[in-house]
Amino acid sequence: MKDNPIMRLAVRWNIPFMLIFALYTQTHGELGPGGGFQSGVIVAAAFVLYGLVFGGAEMRRVVPRWFTDLLGAVGVLIYAGAGVYAMAMGYEFLDHAALMPSNPGGAEPWGMTVVEYGVGITVFGVMMTIFNEITEGTNPEDNEPTDDSADTEYGS
Amino acid sequence: MSLGATTMFFGTDIPTLVAGVVLLFSILLMLVRAIAGPTVWDRILALNAIGTKSVLVVALLGFMTKRPEFLDIALVYAILNFLATIAILKYARKRRLG
Repeated sequence: MKDNPIMRLAVRWNIPFMLIFALYTQTHGELGPGGGFQSGVIVAAAFVLYGLVFGGAEMRRVVPRWFTDLLGAVGVLIYAGAGVYAMAMGYEFLDHAALMPSNPGGAEPWGMTVVEYGVGITVFGVMMTIFNEITEGTNPEDNEPTDDSADTEYGS
Repeated sequence: MSLGATTMFFGTDIPTLVAGVVLLFSILLMLVRAIAGPTVWDRILALNAIGTKSVLVVALLGFMTKRPEFLDIALVYAILNFLATIAILKYARKRRLG
């Protein structure tokens, strides 16, 4: 599909705008529909589009497998870390007033922002992992090893 | 007046309502083509057109309910529709996504 100049140009010109729109969705979630989940899905959609047109191996060269697998856990760590930090400061779990004890109402948006960034990072990582699981090793020209042996190892 | 009651119920004017009805009818026509289409390309084209019309319906709903942030949803739907069409085309041609 990367031999088609129309596909190549359409994707190359679309991906930057998709990433910008994902950042807008992430940072303006309180003004309109949006938030971490939607932002993560749009970022993942941009890279999936790249992978569809230029091949999964080329996409995994740009965004390595270990990186997206790691991001899926890092986002959960940020989300839970915001809650555990509040517990460590003597508040309840996910009580964002711990971030700014002098102004609990003003601390709430900051806590929500941290949590939403965690959600976005996790959704991006998991979406890319799903796409990697579907496409890895399916292109015979890439000579990529499949993970089937590891799967049977866990299953038995 | 029945027309006046309808206008107040949807909170919009008659042209917007007519546009919405026409869009829904065109979606119905393309759904017929998507189900009855002889070849897979007919179905893909019909699905892509249904997605495009859905973007317009979402944008129109935003104007009807005076909530312009619906345009963001319409943009996301346009992006995902573009992506899904490319994915279906690639799978139909090569039987793989990678």
